[in-house]
Order: sequence, then structure tokens, then C-alpha cells
Amino acid sequence: MSAVSADVSIVGHPVHNQVHVEKRYRRLKVLLRRPTALAGGIGVVLIIAVAILAPLISPYNPTASNFSDLFSSPFSTGHLLGTDQLGRDTLSRLVYGARSTLEVGVLATIVGTIVAVPVGIISGYYRGFVDSIIMRITDVILAFPFLVIAVGLAAIFGPSLQNAILALGIAQIPSVIRISRGETLGLREQEFIQAAIASGASDFSVIFRYLLPNMMSPLVVQASIAIPGAILGSALLSFLGVGVQPPTPAWGSMLATAQTYIYQDYWLAVLPGIAILVTTLSFNFFGDGLRDALDPSLS
Amino acid sequence: MKRYLLRRAGASLITLIAASMVVFIGVRSLPGNMAVALSGENGSAAALAAITKEFGLDKPLVIQYVDWVGQLLRGHLGVSPQTGLTVSSELAQRVPVTLELTVLSILLGIVIGIPAGIGAAVRRGKALDYASNAVALFGLSVPSFWFGILLILLFSVKFHIFPSSGYVSLFSNPVENLKDMVMPVVVLGSGVAAILMRQMRAGMLETLRSDYVRTARAKGLSEKVVIGKHALRNSITAVVTVLGLQFGVLLSGVAVTEQVFLLPGLGRLTIDAVFQRDYPTLEAVALLVATSYIVINFLVDVVYSVLNPRIRLAGGSA
Repeated sequence: MSAVSADVSIVGHPVHNQVHVEKRYRRLKVLLRRPTALAGGIGVVLIIAVAILAPLISPYNPTASNFSDLFSSPFSTGHLLGTDQLGRDTLSRLVYGARSTLEVGVLATIVGTIVAVPVGIISGYYRGFVDSIIMRITDVILAFPFLVIAVGLAAIFGPSLQNAILALGIAQIPSVIRISRGETLGLREQEFIQAAIASGASDFSVIFRYLLPNMMSPLVVQASIAIPGAILGSALLSFLGVGVQPPTPAWGSMLATAQTYIYQDYWLAVLPGIAILVTTLSFNFFGDGLRDALDPSLS
Repeated sequence: MKRYLLRRAGASLITLIAASMVVFIGVRSLPGNMAVALSGENGSAAALAAITKEFGLDKPLVIQYVDWVGQLLRGHLGVSPQTGLTVSSELAQRVPVTLELTVLSILLGIVIGIPAGIGAAVRRGKALDYASNAVALFGLSVPSFWFGILLILLFSVKFHIFPSSGYVSLFSNPVENLKDMVMPVVVLGSGVAAILMRQMRAGMLETLRSDYVRTARAKGLSEKVVIGKHALRNSITAVVTVLGLQFGVLLSGVAVTEQVFLLPGLGRLTIDAVFQRDYPTLEAVALLVATSYIVINFLVDVVYSVLNPRIRLAGGSA
């Protein structure tokens, strides 16, 4: 019995254990040794900084138009990246666009994870009837591409930032449910969980003290893949006019407008795309390194 | 085997019914009464009442749903209030465009993604592995619509090689049709290739570690046979499953690509339908997408179970 409780405490409180701290440190080293992961990490930090510091960085008001200065090209006087069809400063719009983009990407992932993880754990922990109902529901969600969900929400509630977040969050639910369910099914059979159940721990305490902390790695990996996906999704939605609404600057809607003026000023179409690409690429490179560091079996 | 297929078919049917209810409820909760939209802002009360009656909008929701399913089963998808055409005739025009775009993109994705994934797994940790992984991550990160706009800038605006937009049917002019398709297919296919490459690599690496591959190597089989025959067969089935599950993501990409290249496919039809409050068309498209997703994944599972007896045996008892 003493052996069992020792086992439980190691897994239950990994932070206090020397072995685990060293393991984490080693993982961090593995993560940062890869040049792509390091570059991605730096990119992510920079983009977050730009979004937070937008009012300090941007040289102009992103929504202020100036009709005497339309379509000025990059490096023209006063406008590092030029101006758009309303004479608004492109750099300022890109800087502010980082805000709405990150907001959608991160919040959608948080929404999806918070809803799906408990459902997945319940599904895997209790199995049986509850499990099959939950699995059918995820099948139904999967049958609708996020665009259909987003377009539906936009049609019902009107297009907005919140609906984009909701649609992209819902779209993440099935895969997060599957991951947390699968992890639960596997962990449930392990001795330390069985021991905790046998020693009379409540379901609540088993789930929060033993199951959840032990499935953090796959969940973190999933989130790191989901965020760039949601960022692309949010750009796609604002491109189609069902995401972030003007005058709030968003990279996707900047691209949609730019396509109209592609013969007058192609820079308008090139720059927002670069902003999206740099952001998603940073997250993907970082996430890829994170996956290798947390789950060496995949590398 | 029979039991497994029956169970799987039953589950698919339940999913399908649930999906149809979601579509129905979703579309009926759209704001802006359709009768008002149809009769116009200044429509008379009589016109409004007539339209409400014609489309059955005054009946309870449950009856409307049953009516709707009955119509569907008889092949009636309704009439688009905007164009006055039947939804089925509209779909008959749009589906081939989207289907062609999707099939060609998947083919391009397979041709690039599968060999690249195998190569990366076999040369694991070497330059080829890192290079193809970086390219694949790049492919996953590029917004498809931006990639499309760049291609238009380069090949239509600057060099006039491909048309920037427009569409000619495959049957009326195959050459022009394929020219129209080149850029959209490159845009979508590169995304598919990126996903397939990563799946193929991961699946292959896992298979290469398994005991039977070690046995095959120990028997003295050449690396070509071990990889090409033994490992490939086992890892490719997982890739097919992923392709099935990615179908929904692919369709979202198809819609936005159609928007960029102005192809008259399902995606543009859907977006137009939302802004015009065209209920019957929206219902039909959403249902068509959900149905094809469910059917495709059912077929994938069937094929998978035929190829891999372990699945159907485990599936029978689970």
C-alpha cells in the first residue's frame, strides 16, 4: 500500500519532484535547440508584443482616412508600407490587425479546449451509453466544415468577431474530445489511477488530480496546432466578409479589399498575406518543435 | 464482418438524421423573415400571406421538418426564391465545378504528398526530412486565398498565362477548362500535399519501428521491398482515413478558392445564399456537404475494414 501511495504522489504532484523538473528542463532544451522551433518561438513572442503594444507602435490611426494620399506605395514619405484606397496607413492597419487575428485564434482555441476536454474525459472515464452519445455528437459536428458553421452563425446572429471565435472554437471540439477521451481511456487502466479509485478517491478528484495533469502534453500539442489553424480560419472568414467587421482592421478583410484594387496597387494584396504567413508559420514552427519535445515518439 | 458493417451503417444513419435536424433548425432560425425578403420591403399584406402559405412558413416547425424530409426523399429540394430555379437544377450546375476542383486537388496532393512523406520517413533526420517538413509546414501556414491572389498577380496580371477568373465547362471546352483549373488546383492541392506528407511521414515512422518490419529486414529482404511492400501498405490506410476526416476542411478551402478565382461552384453558391437569405439553397448545400462527409467516411471505414481484419474484429466487440 505504501508503494502505491508513493506512486500516486509522484504523478499527482509532478512539480515537486526533482526528476520531473529535470525532465521539463531537458524538454525545453530539446525545444530550443531546433532552429525552426527557436525562430518560431521568437516570432510568436514578437507578434504577441506587436498586438499588445499596437497603440504605441503604429504611426497612424488605423481607421483614419486621408483622401489626399490614396494608394501611396511602400517607402513613400510618411508611410513606410504605403496607404490603401481610403488613404489609411497600411503599417498601422497591419499592426492593429494582429490584435483581432490573435484574439480570434487564441480565444477560439481556449473556447474549444475548455468545452471539449471535460466532455472527452467524461466520455472516456464513464464509457458506455454516455460515451456513445458523445461520440455521435462529435460525428455530427465533424460533418459540418467550420465554414458552414461560421456562415450559419453569421447568418443567424450577424457577422462579428464573436461569431468567428465561436465557429472556429466549435470546429475544434471534435478533435479535442477525441484526444482527451483517448488519453483518459489509456490512463484509466494504469495502476496509479486504479489505485486512486481503489483508495476511495472521488471521481472529481481522480479527474482533476490525476487524469488532467497527465494529459497536458497531448493537449498542449493539440492547442499549438489549433492556434495557427484558427488564425488561418479567422483570416478566411474575414476575407469572405463573415468575420471581423470593418472598420476594425483585419488581415483577411484587407486582402479581400485589395483583390478589388489589384491592378492599381498590388502591395495592398501582398502585405497582409505576409503578415498572416509570418504569424501562422511562427506558431506552426514553434508547435512542431513543442510536439517533438513533448512527444519524442513522433519525431 | 456483416455485423460490423451494419453497426457502422446504423451509426452513419443516426449521424445523418441528426445532421439534417441541425441544418433544418439552423436555417429556420435565420433572422429576416423569408416572406418579407421575398415580397420586398413594400410588399402588400396579401402577397406576404400568399408567400407564407406557399412555402409552408405558417406551420409548426416539426411539421415543416417532416414535410421537408418527405420532399427531400422524393428528390424535391425546393425552389430558390431568388432565381426562381429549382435548387436541384442549380446544384446540378454547381456540383461538377466543385467536384472537379476537389478531385484534381486531392490527386495533386497525393502525387506530391505521399512520396515526400515516404522520403522524409526513410531519410529521417537527414536534410531531405528537414526540407520536406519545412516545406509542408509552409504549405500549412500559407493562407490559400492569399496564395491564389499571388498566383493571379504573377500569372494573370503580369504574364497573362492563365485567366484570373472565369470558367468554361469541362465538356464544352476541355483545354480552356483545364487552363481555368490550373491555379485553383495548385492552391488547394499544395495544402492537401502538406497534410498528406506529414501524415505519411508519421505513419511510416511508426510502421518502420514495428516488429514485422524488423523481421522482414532480418529475413534479408531489400529495403525497397520492406518499405514499398510491407511498410507502405500498413501506413497508407491511416493516410486514407485522415484524408476522409480532412474532407470538411478541404471543402472550406474549396469555397474560398472559388471565391478568389470566381469559379461558379458550391462555395460561392453558399455564400451568395447567406447574403440573399435563400433558405432552400442553404439547406440543400449544408445537407449535401454533411451527407457527403458522412458517406465518404463510411466508405473509408468499409474499405479500411476490408483491408485490415483487425479493425472489423475489434469493432464487432467494442
